[in-house]
Amino acid sequence: MLDEKKPRETIETEIPLGTVHPAALEPYRVRLFVEDEIVQEAEITIGVNHRGIERIMEGLPVEKANALTEKVCGICSNAHIWNSVRTAELGLGIEIPERASYIRIIMGELERLHSHFLYLGHGCEVLAHETFSMRAFYLRESIMDLLFMIGGNRVQYGCSIIGGVRPRCELTDERIRTLREKLDAVEKGAADFADRVTSDTVFISRIEGVGVIPQKQALKLEVTGPTLRATGVPKDFRTIMPDYEPFDFNVITQQDGDVKANLMMRVLEIFESIKIIRQALDNLPKGPVVDRSWEMVDCDTVHSYIEVPRGTLYHSYALEDGRIRGSIIRTPSMSNIGAMQYACIGDHVTDAQLCIVQCDPCFTCTDRAVEIIRR
Amino acid sequence: MGIKSFSRKRAIHIMLVYTGGCNGCDIEIVNAVLSPKYDIEQYNVFLTWNPREADILVVTGPVTRFNEDPLIKIYESIPDPKLVVAAGACAVMGGVYKNIHGDIPSEEIMGPVDNVIPVDAKIPGCAVRPKDILSGVVASLPVLLDK
Ligand code: SF4
Repeated sequence: MLDEKKPRETIETEIPLGTVHPAALEPYRVRLFVEDEIVQEAEITIGVNHRGIERIMEGLPVEKANALTEKVCGICSNAHIWNSVRTAELGLGIEIPERASYIRIIMGELERLHSHFLYLGHGCEVLAHETFSMRAFYLRESIMDLLFMIGGNRVQYGCSIIGGVRPRCELTDERIRTLREKLDAVEKGAADFADRVTSDTVFISRIEGVGVIPQKQALKLEVTGPTLRATGVPKDFRTIMPDYEPFDFNVITQQDGDVKANLMMRVLEIFESIKIIRQALDNLPKGPVVDRSWEMVDCDTVHSYIEVPRGTLYHSYALEDGRIRGSIIRTPSMSNIGAMQYACIGDHVTDAQLCIVQCDPCFTCTDRAVEIIRR
Repeated sequence: MGIKSFSRKRAIHIMLVYTGGCNGCDIEIVNAVLSPKYDIEQYNVFLTWNPREADILVVTGPVTRFNEDPLIKIYESIPDPKLVVAAGACAVMGGVYKNIHGDIPSEEIMGPVDNVIPVDAKIPGCAVRPKDILSGVVASLPVLLDK
């Protein structure tokens, strides 16, 4: 392992994968240094997708920039626009209507559901278990339908705007009814999925003890989100977010930090998210969904954190004449890259892909802060 | 219909190349091919990751600098006849990354895909919907088979 690893000279074989590689959906580069088919050292390089999104945000009007942040990531697009809008609201001192806050949380949790189902589907496919993968993708489709119903698009919903949510995303009685019905079905399907996964001994033996990240190492590498919670640290930003105060939910943890713990982590979080959405639907306050009576003032750099499906997301910018200055975005995958590299070490080279996928990577949204010099 | 088109009709392979979009389009395309709901495989269209096996190249994303050369290389290694489908607003016209900017435009974007390789079909949308991908790919099949 990393602490007792041998000096680099003794590692003779290097296996480079990527950047465009069949096993990886997103372009990134992995270099595996192997000895006797056991990975001794792994190195992940990103930077292929650099689009300079923080730079093109510089000097944009804040509403436009918020819409642009949504395009940072195609999986947690709602999280990015939510946090960006939240940054502006914190800076300008805007109070949003309670109903809008509830709708944002419902959208956030629906997004967590679809992201976790995607993780399960992708993970099972990497494990070459097509049936589980198909089941997960099928369950995910119902969530996508719900997101489509509320937001009007399957990926970029543009739900949050400064002062509340877009009136298009208002939850009418009919929508609430559909939401409840579909959630019941999804919960049943997810319970069935969990049942099958845990009772399949072949599957469990394949994932148990692979890609272990010890708790100490996870804390050292600043891992966030479910990957950290799978090592036994109950750290969830939702517990200290004021938006989530009215809700009652458990922070799920697992102990082992291996692929099995990570997988179970996501399965159990799905039930918690469904619980939160149900509570929000039960206590949905009446009233308007957007309050447009705010005024634009200048403000210094504001920092905002929220918990997204992969961990803690950070946005910050200052406002000057209604324009963005000095925007910084830090996505959770950025801090999880260390965990991905560490998880590969000590495992068989064929498991390397699995070890990376277990940390739920999203390199697309992470590729912003890299400086590329063209020769 | 020659024997080549006849056999090709039964196994169209599409290759997905990802050139730096936001991931939304890619997941939708993989979803359209692999997931049980849309399932393009029922029309004998399969996903592949090997350019030498591919008939249709589906490109998403606005083509970042680093992806320009690999994209050209992949395009050249696909055997004739071939089709290129640009999927998503990013691939069709550069998307938000090329067209929206504040004080400084982004210099990283080489796209849209038109600028780099010839495009035969364009599927709009941000992100593309699986149904559009289905109709786009199925509509472009006769073009490929007549070539
Ligand atoms: S078209 Fe939209 S969804 Fe597709 S890659 Fe571009 S920004 Fe993402």
